[in-house]
Amino acid sequence: MGDEQKTVPLSVDGRSIEAPPGTLLIEACKSVGIEVPSFCYYPGLSLQAACRMCLVEIEKTPKLQTACTVIVQPGMVVRTSTPQVHAARKAMLEFLLTNHPLDCPVCDKGGECELQDMVFRYGAAESRFAEEKEHQPEQRFSSVVYFDYPRCILCFRCVRVCDEAMDVKALGVGQRGVRSTIIPNRPDGTLECEECGMCIDICPVGALTSHQYRYKTRPWEMKYVGTPCAHCGDGCKTTLNIRNNQILRGNNRDKTGINGEFLCIKGRYGGDFVHHPERLRQPLVRRHGRLEPATWEEGLDLVAHRLKEITVSAGPDRIGFLGSNRTTNEENYLLQRFARTVIGTNNIDHHRTADYAALVAALGGDTTAFAASGDLARTAAILLIGSDPTHNHPLLAYNIRAAGRLHDARLYVINAREIKLRRQADRFVQVPAGQEAAAVEALLGAAPDLPPDARQELDKVRAALEKESDVIVLFGAEMWGRGVKRLVEFGQKLAGKTRYIALGDYANSRGAADMGVLPDLLPGYGPLTDATLRKKWEQLWNSSLPATPGLNARQMFEPGRLRGLYVVGANPVKTFKLAHTRDGLGAPELLVVQELFLTETAQLADVVLPAASAYEKDGTLTNTCGELQRLRRPLEPVGARSDFEILRLLSYALGKPIPWRTPEAAFEEIRQQVPGYQVSLASLLVGEATRTAPGDGRHADKAAETSPGLIFSSDDSLFTSGTLGRFSEMLNSVPERKLPRSQL
Amino acid sequence: MALQLSPELRQRFQQLKQRYPSLRSALIPMLLYAQDEIGYVSDDLISYLAEELNLRRVQVEETVLYYSMLRRKPAGRFHLQVCTNVACLLRGAKPILEHVRQRCGGPPKTPTPDGIFSFEEVECLGACTGAPAMQVNYDYYENLTVPQVEQLMTQLRAGKKPAPVPHISGVQFQPHPAEVRVISRRFGLPDSTSLDTYLKHDGYQALDKALKQMTPEQIIEEVKRSNLRGRGGAGFPAGMKWSFVPKDTSKPKYIIANADESEPGTCKDRPLMELDPHQLIEGMLIAGRAVNAHQGFIYVRGEYRYVLEILERAVTEAYERAYLGKNILGSGFDFDLVVHTGAGAYECGEESALMESLEGKRGYPRIRPPFPAVVGLYGCPTVINNVETLSSVPSIILKGGEWYANLGTPKNGGTRLFCISGHVNRPGLYELPMGFPLRRMIEEVAGGMRNGKKCKAVIPGGSSVPVLTADQLDTPMDFDSVAKAGSMLGSGGVMVMDEDTCMVEVAQRIMHFYAHESCGWCIPCREGTTWLRKMLDRFHAGGRVEDIRQIGELARNMLGKTFCPLGDAAAMPTISIVDKFRDEFEEHLRSGECPSARSPAGVAH
Repeated sequence: MGDEQKTVPLSVDGRSIEAPPGTLLIEACKSVGIEVPSFCYYPGLSLQAACRMCLVEIEKTPKLQTACTVIVQPGMVVRTSTPQVHAARKAMLEFLLTNHPLDCPVCDKGGECELQDMVFRYGAAESRFAEEKEHQPEQRFSSVVYFDYPRCILCFRCVRVCDEAMDVKALGVGQRGVRSTIIPNRPDGTLECEECGMCIDICPVGALTSHQYRYKTRPWEMKYVGTPCAHCGDGCKTTLNIRNNQILRGNNRDKTGINGEFLCIKGRYGGDFVHHPERLRQPLVRRHGRLEPATWEEGLDLVAHRLKEITVSAGPDRIGFLGSNRTTNEENYLLQRFARTVIGTNNIDHHRTADYAALVAALGGDTTAFAASGDLARTAAILLIGSDPTHNHPLLAYNIRAAGRLHDARLYVINAREIKLRRQADRFVQVPAGQEAAAVEALLGAAPDLPPDARQELDKVRAALEKESDVIVLFGAEMWGRGVKRLVEFGQKLAGKTRYIALGDYANSRGAADMGVLPDLLPGYGPLTDATLRKKWEQLWNSSLPATPGLNARQMFEPGRLRGLYVVGANPVKTFKLAHTRDGLGAPELLVVQELFLTETAQLADVVLPAASAYEKDGTLTNTCGELQRLRRPLEPVGARSDFEILRLLSYALGKPIPWRTPEAAFEEIRQQVPGYQVSLASLLVGEATRTAPGDGRHADKAAETSPGLIFSSDDSLFTSGTLGRFSEMLNSVPERKLPRSQL
Repeated sequence: MALQLSPELRQRFQQLKQRYPSLRSALIPMLLYAQDEIGYVSDDLISYLAEELNLRRVQVEETVLYYSMLRRKPAGRFHLQVCTNVACLLRGAKPILEHVRQRCGGPPKTPTPDGIFSFEEVECLGACTGAPAMQVNYDYYENLTVPQVEQLMTQLRAGKKPAPVPHISGVQFQPHPAEVRVISRRFGLPDSTSLDTYLKHDGYQALDKALKQMTPEQIIEEVKRSNLRGRGGAGFPAGMKWSFVPKDTSKPKYIIANADESEPGTCKDRPLMELDPHQLIEGMLIAGRAVNAHQGFIYVRGEYRYVLEILERAVTEAYERAYLGKNILGSGFDFDLVVHTGAGAYECGEESALMESLEGKRGYPRIRPPFPAVVGLYGCPTVINNVETLSSVPSIILKGGEWYANLGTPKNGGTRLFCISGHVNRPGLYELPMGFPLRRMIEEVAGGMRNGKKCKAVIPGGSSVPVLTADQLDTPMDFDSVAKAGSMLGSGGVMVMDEDTCMVEVAQRIMHFYAHESCGWCIPCREGTTWLRKMLDRFHAGGRVEDIRQIGELARNMLGKTFCPLGDAAAMPTISIVDKFRDEFEEHLRSGECPSARSPAGVAH
């Protein structure tokens, strides 16, 4: 970006303005606060020039011109507010309203409708239309999307966003002329798509509405809270629309946050799990073989008593903790401190869905090599190994598509499956399942045992990557341990700066690893075996730390290893595919579960403590790219308590109180003590994401030691989301959930 | 139920899939040919074609639903398509439609209980000089009366298909003395479509000259010198258009003949193709040479199926005799030509919409600039000219641009094939020099007004242009003179209306057309044409005082603000009719009904 481009001088409404070459007139006007109205123009989507609302006068041009298609020219003299322009706008609105039903009083869009706003501002309030309107009955496109034909103004935003931005193209245009209509892709008049709801939120009027929201309320009756989504690892900001402590929908109409306006079905409508009737509202205690309701006091006392008993009789290392990849950083940080200091064991792990530790180690202290989600828009090339981002990382998939479509980035995909993003790939190499690491060896020039055509393709990928000025590498759970190390070695050989994103599954997979919910690593990936490092934390927490690495997740379930298993926000019976019995979990005599629902694991527990969801508590989450965001607690929990509060209360009951009163206090310590989390508070407080960059690289030699079987993805689809997804009515309602993935 | 397609059709599909630079271009022909065989576009067919062409199902459906000839439900074995557009309306199409409607019973596009017939009111079929006309499936029947229609239906039901017209009615095999035959000079020759006949009458001599004696620049210069202006309607200088094609590009370039003739009142490209196809092919070859293009397409409106077949035969013959293909006439010049069918959409006559359609999509116009000469078909530089324009090129090359220019008036070179229809004694196609006076055209060439009536109004260039009144008949018929008279020479479709014509009804019928053909892309055209259609319908049956002013205002609100010229095309005639025949609108108000409805000499008679 060295040499600065000259700007183009032009005049708009008598003001001298400047804009970069190639700027559309409508954007140039917007940049200086001159509004040129439009319906069909939408940044990032192809130009339509169909609504004719943005007609303006340009000197020396006889006819009015559409500001959305005209590119600024030096000396151009533009008028956006003449009687002729006003008359044209009014005429367009009058035309539009001829077939618009004007059912604003019952329309979901009333109050946030662009047509309503335009008519208010630009006139045409009186109708001269005395003929019969075109009418067709409302259609249910899917369990998410409803289409009301008469309200549609045919701006084609929905069709374009579905095709161009989502690469789904489930919506089309049928018929022609005044009978033109939006059509769904199935022959029976329904949709088969990602059900993301982009079409609904991009609709300027009430033509597309969501099943979840329609006829429930009015826009001005709700409060709007922007908070990180509770589901996948991408960490989109979803603005929850709330009335009476009830989420009515999610959207992100103000386009703030790392995701702009993007949300998938989970972010928009998948928040409904919090209201599921099976939510746990009070502690359960096993009496006479059955889980029965108990008070919090009873539950916590029982847990404290039993933990103490095992610690005293068998030692702290007979207790293990399985943490969560969706609880907050503060909760994870508290949990590992609880395990290490209150109980005194390093038996702590979680379901690891990406090998962040290996990446940090392989980077050897280079904290500039983590790519954030938005960096995908600013890279020359993308290399994707493993994972299926369309399903597991909808935002990153969206950004990857946009990188090619809007920024000409090249995409290279190596995968065992024919994932959907191959369609955007400049090169797609299919390798046998489990051979992703071998593919990286091939990129490094080694000669692993791969099919010849895959080898040839990989040679081409390497040759292409070597020519790229910079590359972002994304990799899934297929790459772990030594594989990650070798991948980074390859990345370091490339000419430009190579950055990385490890693709982990859930809302705080990255945070769990960063916070040290690992048997061998302290917060910030410091090795436990490092005495100096250990000493730092011992002084900080005023407690000794056990020096030997603890059991990992798989070891904890081995028979007889543990006498007490403490599970926070996880369902190992399902995730680790264990037998649905206590024996399956290694036959611990005490099983405690903190959870939102009575999962398979919770069903086996002695004590179940009802936990608050991410939408009901304070704290921070770190997405899979390392971007930190603050939860805004849109709802108040009913009956449940945050995991933070539960653990803190337990520490008191166990006589070793951890003094942080609030997650904020814990976060303050994280900010001061955990490497990579020295972030500025300002952006966090206003609801933005801020980058973290963990890792001091001191244990690079240990990276290859990740044991087999510890890193694996749940491989959720767009319509599943671990435990939470099972309790979302919206996610369960879509028929696509049952279809093979390739069809989407 | 599995899709059953004949082996012949499957083989044709394979050929279609191979002949375009983009697979999707085969979609519309595949749909239409499949519909010919199985009767309609079924769900199974859509899924099958989506798979064949690597498209999503909804992309196929979008295309299907755009084109009026493609049906999602079966029609009768004989689908009776009655044209009621202005030229046919003036000569009695309404009673024919009424008769057909009654005989079929039931709603349009629905098979009779015995499955034999279905009917549909259609837009201009390009048979204006043979009005009133009807198409039965792809067969043209012209100059119809109600008894003839009745007889036709009887014979069809009996399994005896009467012969359709061999070529458009009104074509002159014996030239009128006033005619100057340049492009129509081979009309009436025996076997005029054959290559041998063509060769015997100067055929491919211009090509030989262009390839062997002229540089591409010289060809373009010659065409510029001829003052040949676009015959599709806009009148843009053809040589100029060719010169816009970039020379330093690695992209392929294309030549398109716009044979989507559908401007109401216009039926001149049809005879040029059905009677002299090689002239068009030669014109395209010369254009290809001029801009260094090696691939051409003739986009023929879907209704002209038999014309398309004539063209395909001519193209095959030209390939066999090496006038198409590699190393043409030993010059080293290669050129391939594909004849492509549309499927019923006026908008596809607009050049950028035509290209979208040729790419297998809905016929939506494109944002311009860039213009087709730079970014056209498949994003490549493209010359697109009307059939008549391209057909004029061989004579220009052979006899010189100057010779051609001198046939017409300044800046309006050559001749035009005028389609004179309506209330004249001899409706027909007459090739007259540019600038030929309108009055002589009507009174002399077309045999004067029918039944000795007075001329009330003339639409001089297809229904898109402002109407001229009887006192404007001395206008010379060239682009500039007609423009000076406040109208446009347009496509050469001259529709003559006598004193008994109800101008409100004419305005109503014109607006019906544009509302039906509006693609729906932009608001003012989509909503404006339909609003005006509904208003004019209501007004014709009895309106309100404020309606008259409002009709003009709404048309003016469309004018100049639509995405493509279709909005202007709808607005201009409407504005002119309301302005010039305001008294007739007021008369409708006073009498509460159409005054001509009382008169036996009304529009429909």
